[in-house]
Amino acid sequence: MTQIDDPERADDALAVPFTPGMRDNPAQLAEHVETIARQPLPLADVTATPEQELAAEWRNAAYNCFSSGHKFCREVCPVTQVTRNESWTPTAFHANVVAMEQGQLSIEDVAADYVNCTQCGACELRCPNTLFTGDFYRFRTRTVDVVKAVRALAVDQGVHQEGWRTWNARTDQLTHEPVLGDTPVSQEHVRDWSAGLDLPVGGSTVLFVDCEAAFYRTSVPRAVAQVLQLAGVEFGLMDEQWCCGGPAAEMGYVDQARRFARHNLDSWRATGTTRVLVLDPHDYISFTEDYPRYFGEEYADIEVVLVVELFAELLREGRLTPSVPVERTITYHDPCRLNKRKGIWREPREVLRAIPGLTFHDVDRVTQWSYCSGGGGGLPIEKPELTERIAAGRVDKAAALGVDTLVSACPWSERPLAGAGEAVGIDVVDIHELLALSLGIDVGGTTNGGAP
Amino acid sequence: MSPEEHDPQDGGGRIGYRYAEQHDLPPAVPVTDVAVTTFEHVLEVDPRLMERWVQQQQMPAWDSLRIVHGRHDHLTWMHRHFADRVVAGSGLLHEVEDDDREVGP
Repeated sequence: MTQIDDPERADDALAVPFTPGMRDNPAQLAEHVETIARQPLPLADVTATPEQELAAEWRNAAYNCFSSGHKFCREVCPVTQVTRNESWTPTAFHANVVAMEQGQLSIEDVAADYVNCTQCGACELRCPNTLFTGDFYRFRTRTVDVVKAVRALAVDQGVHQEGWRTWNARTDQLTHEPVLGDTPVSQEHVRDWSAGLDLPVGGSTVLFVDCEAAFYRTSVPRAVAQVLQLAGVEFGLMDEQWCCGGPAAEMGYVDQARRFARHNLDSWRATGTTRVLVLDPHDYISFTEDYPRYFGEEYADIEVVLVVELFAELLREGRLTPSVPVERTITYHDPCRLNKRKGIWREPREVLRAIPGLTFHDVDRVTQWSYCSGGGGGLPIEKPELTERIAAGRVDKAAALGVDTLVSACPWSERPLAGAGEAVGIDVVDIHELLALSLGIDVGGTTNGGAP
Repeated sequence: MSPEEHDPQDGGGRIGYRYAEQHDLPPAVPVTDVAVTTFEHVLEVDPRLMERWVQQQQMPAWDSLRIVHGRHDHLTWMHRHFADRVVAGSGLLHEVEDDDREVGP
């Protein structure tokens, strides 16, 4: 019931609806607002249960979803598309936080549900609370952060997913993710991919190579390094590169992620490095979102450059001129972490359009908000069958275009997509490999971990 | 601002991530009683109005601009997929006025 007609509150400016800050507001209202602003109320009891502590941090984000209920997130969510499981939707991930705050659920009840997310970012971008108001209020839907926070709470409370626990324990032991291939995963072999390329170590600019590319799809870093050499870009390899730590952060092993990040930053410092070239979108997320959060101003002198953006610039400047025709009919897979999470879609297309011989059937970037390889967020480790179904759906969309090749710009997407591509006769190629080919470079390396 | 031609001044013209560029935004200029602008054509609520119930998030420049560009991209995409024609607001007003004339006072 409204209080507008309450005669006892006739002099109370708060008794009538108002928009804060308007010039024609009653003068006494400004007094109220300032009083309130000077004495903010505590948002939650932070001495409560671990679940309620999490909710204290994420309750507004969770209620922003829970109270809206738009559910535009559902049809762009790769997991929802293939499972239709209501407990594995972005909406459920937020509703659970509300329930945990109210004491109706514990982390043990819901931890396993949060496995079912690739952290592709489609839901949070498509959510109207991001897309139409997020920049205005500087308050947007943050499903990826909520999922990461709940996973971290689970690990903190000793609720582990066995696949993730093993994966991260082995990563901790090896300093790299235990991707399977012919090259043994170890610090000793992290630069094996560069055999014969005569690359220096250290320097002001280094190339960071993710675990999948360094040990499994070595054709990608070999292509990148040789294209950079051809363009005359000076760079070295890291002195002692460890995993970026991003996958551990995604799976909830936050302390390990921070430890790995600290190691890498210290290694850059030791070699006077101020510019890091990144070929993998997942690393790009780590270095532009996680590391700034961990290190703040300490990170101020580090510049992070995505290689595909650099390649587009080198093409524009005429420092690269592809001349060898590549006779393939292709479509491009927008990697989630570039297109949805970073808004980077233009440069890969610039690169592809510079390659002679290609017949390019493009699918626009907005349609691809609902596409995913299923390879992110640790999903292939815990739910490989789900990753397979998501990848199969993505490759089917490519097949419908009548292409023979699906090009990606993300090494982590290329293994599941290649597996699905075999079934329908579609080759999966990395964009850096394709550009190198058109520049007449004999790339070398392997696209499948050295399997026959 | 066309989604195809993001203004270089809004961060779309220089590659690479640098911490300072992301966290030191252009100075906010008040445009109404309740809104300010930082990047050109990007309106934000006056942050003083979000100090109590819902506090603003740490949002680096790239994220604000990603949302703005994503919105333009999405609206263009919606028009391409679901709109056969674009109707000017003035045209709609004329239709309303014509209807009013037919009904009479």
